[in-house]
Amino acid sequence: MSHLTMEQLVALRDAGSEPGSAESQAHVVACPQCAAELDRLYQRVARIRALPSLRPPRDRFTLVAGRVRHDRRQVKVRRLGLGAMALAATLLLVVVGRDLLAPPSASASDQLTAVMAESATLEQALRQLRGDQRVTDVYTTRAAASLEDRIGELDRQLEATQAHGASNADANLLPLWRERVGLMDALVDVHVTRAQNVGL
Amino acid sequence: MTRALVVDSYLLSDAESVVARVRVGDPAALEILYRAYETPVFNLARRICRSVEDAEDVLQDTFFEVYRSIGQYRGDGPLWGWIRRVAASKALMRLRRNKYRDTDELHDETHAVRREDTPLRMDLEAALERLPETSRAVVWLHDVEGYTHEEIAGMMDKTPSFSKSQLSRAHAKLRTWLGEEALA
Repeated sequence: MSHLTMEQLVALRDAGSEPGSAESQAHVVACPQCAAELDRLYQRVARIRALPSLRPPRDRFTLVAGRVRHDRRQVKVRRLGLGAMALAATLLLVVVGRDLLAPPSASASDQLTAVMAESATLEQALRQLRGDQRVTDVYTTRAAASLEDRIGELDRQLEATQAHGASNADANLLPLWRERVGLMDALVDVHVTRAQNVGL
Repeated sequence: MTRALVVDSYLLSDAESVVARVRVGDPAALEILYRAYETPVFNLARRICRSVEDAEDVLQDTFFEVYRSIGQYRGDGPLWGWIRRVAASKALMRLRRNKYRDTDELHDETHAVRREDTPLRMDLEAALERLPETSRAVVWLHDVEGYTHEEIAGMMDKTPSFSKSQLSRAHAKLRTWLGEEALA
């Protein structure tokens, strides 16, 4: 048998896992040259393992910590945006559900006056909150925009209903105004959440 | 006791509690983890990557990944074994990303031309540095870190035969460059 190749010698170190390693092992026992070669291989590997540990030349933890902080901010902003949207949807459901379940008590006209007054109060609160023009995140912006679009649509419906001037106009206007109040309420909430978290 | 367990107990005796704190987002715990393992991670990265800058990036990427994926570490193995795996993957990813610079084959050819001019015996560090990046990575992962050819193949997205052949080719080159032929 000719001398072992480097591949066979290297394979001998992974004892028993390679086919033909028994033959190679027997050859090494009988062949002093291959035994010496295997010995050199072991020594070379031992020398590689004994190389000194290389240390980082600069402290990189500040950069790692910076990336971690940035990542956390992103996660928080994403959660807040989703939370604001979920909150708006919940409030809308509560308001609409309450309207559907509540028994009629006062006259439609009185109820309409009360709802319109509530809407005006919310409108005023919203104007104050909008005065804060600090940059907000995309998710909150999207949630607010979606609510504002729906309010705009309701306003067009209210105008159309009022212009129609039907005898039961108050009864027709009431559910629309209630929905508007619900949406306004949700919008105020989105802006309050944003104002609390600006600068995170 | 495995090598990774020895490293764990030597570098970080209270690994379990530190990991629990990292999981809940304690930045001080992440720093403890970083300080304990920065040298072995950098050493592994530097032995695989060609430049110090690449190794530093791997160090940074590794600990960011550790922070993000600490939930996946179940504590059923040594912490160093898990961190080392992350580091090795990041280093190998960096090698693949840098492949546009030159292929291993081209690197081999360059060295083949230079071989005539090199001294008979080289320093071990220089000889390792001179190996093609993939071969050097296989030598380090197999001979020093103790990964099997199957594990290396998995990390490199290659076959175990590829890993075996890289290792034997690398040892043949080292043998020549280190002047061991003269001893034979």
